[in-house]
Amino acid sequence: MSVLELQRVTKRYREGQLERVVLREVSLRIDGGELAVVWGLRGCGRSTLLRLAAGIEAPDEGDVLFEGRNLARHGEGALGAGIGYCQKSLGSGSQIVLDVVMVALLAAGVSPAQARSRGREALERARVSSCATLRVSALGAAERVRVALARVLAHEPRLLVVDDPVQGVDLLDRDGILALLRSFADGGLAVLASAGEATGLAGADRTLALSAGELRGPSPAQLAPVVELRPASVRQAGV
Amino acid sequence: MQSQVNWALLGLVIERPSYAYELARRFERTYEGVLTLSSVSHVYTALAALRERTLIEELPGTRVGRQPKPHYKATAKGHAGYAEWLVGQVDEDLRRQRLFVLALSTFTRDPHAALGMLARYEQACLTEAGRSPIAPREEVCVGDTRALAGRLLAEESRLAIGAKLAWVEYARQELSVLADSRTVAS
Repeated sequence: MSVLELQRVTKRYREGQLERVVLREVSLRIDGGELAVVWGLRGCGRSTLLRLAAGIEAPDEGDVLFEGRNLARHGEGALGAGIGYCQKSLGSGSQIVLDVVMVALLAAGVSPAQARSRGREALERARVSSCATLRVSALGAAERVRVALARVLAHEPRLLVVDDPVQGVDLLDRDGILALLRSFADGGLAVLASAGEATGLAGADRTLALSAGELRGPSPAQLAPVVELRPASVRQAGV
Repeated sequence: MQSQVNWALLGLVIERPSYAYELARRFERTYEGVLTLSSVSHVYTALAALRERTLIEELPGTRVGRQPKPHYKATAKGHAGYAEWLVGQVDEDLRRQRLFVLALSTFTRDPHAALGMLARYEQACLTEAGRSPIAPREEVCVGDTRALAGRLLAEESRLAIGAKLAWVEYARQELSVLADSRTVAS
């Protein structure tokens, strides 16, 4: 069973009297350990596709299945049950990075001590632990993306959805973000990302193009070898 | 001089004066998968051609001993010629791209066939884009010129593929309009 499956999904938006078809019978399957990246020009529907995949929006036709469950029937609950949608906005610049990562855990009822521990571990996985005590305003563009990813990772998702992670990131820092997504997939996570520039497709197992509401791409590539991402000591501790 | 091998070899001599066998080894390492030498003797032929055109010259005092290893260095003419050849690659790239577009244009009488070709071309571009290696900055060792060359190559390929994918979008729209008009006409 695939982690994510879109079955003939169609999405329409009304613009005044007009109806625009953003996605037309789009089908897509992503397995654990797979990094799929969707490229498309501005306004092609990339963000819509990702919001549908994360269960934030519902399709007009077709089904979106997460681990075999239809997201439309589970509503927003699905978001807390294994889907991590990465929003790049980190909120107020005066906030401390670790607090940004911890806050949603605390809201979900996790104890402060556990939230701190999981927050630190997530920052470590996103390779931005050195920024834990900094204010958000002190972060560079690439660090902001890493912290945003850490905030999602702290919830231990099985599907990670990221909209254009390298947009606005310096050229020389871009590959660090791409390598991070690659490492998440190598660690067993299913990752669906979008890219406004084709450079963001590097390292993907599956590269797709979206235009005129249609998703196109080569047949599924062989999955990349699975490499343990988390240190053995962390796994044994059951964190 | 037409031979890509000769120009590439000249570049290696400019990088570091050397002798034939060592140049052959460096050639294989540097241009692996891009240019091939038929044999080590290919290098001797290429060096002779470069000397004949006074693009390189023998370093004095290196043809000595029981096994002489004459070293070669680039002349001023060699440096200038190499720079010109490098810049000329832009024309070569454009020529290759023009050839592709003109070849595809032969299908415009049958826009549906052209769209099919375009879809296959797009798939090839997408596959290539995914294969592009990732070189995180934190793993970059400053001064590793071979790794730097790899990163420059990867970036050039990615940007070129990005431009091709955007062009595919444009071409698809043009051909779709043409296909629709033919359908209406028939």
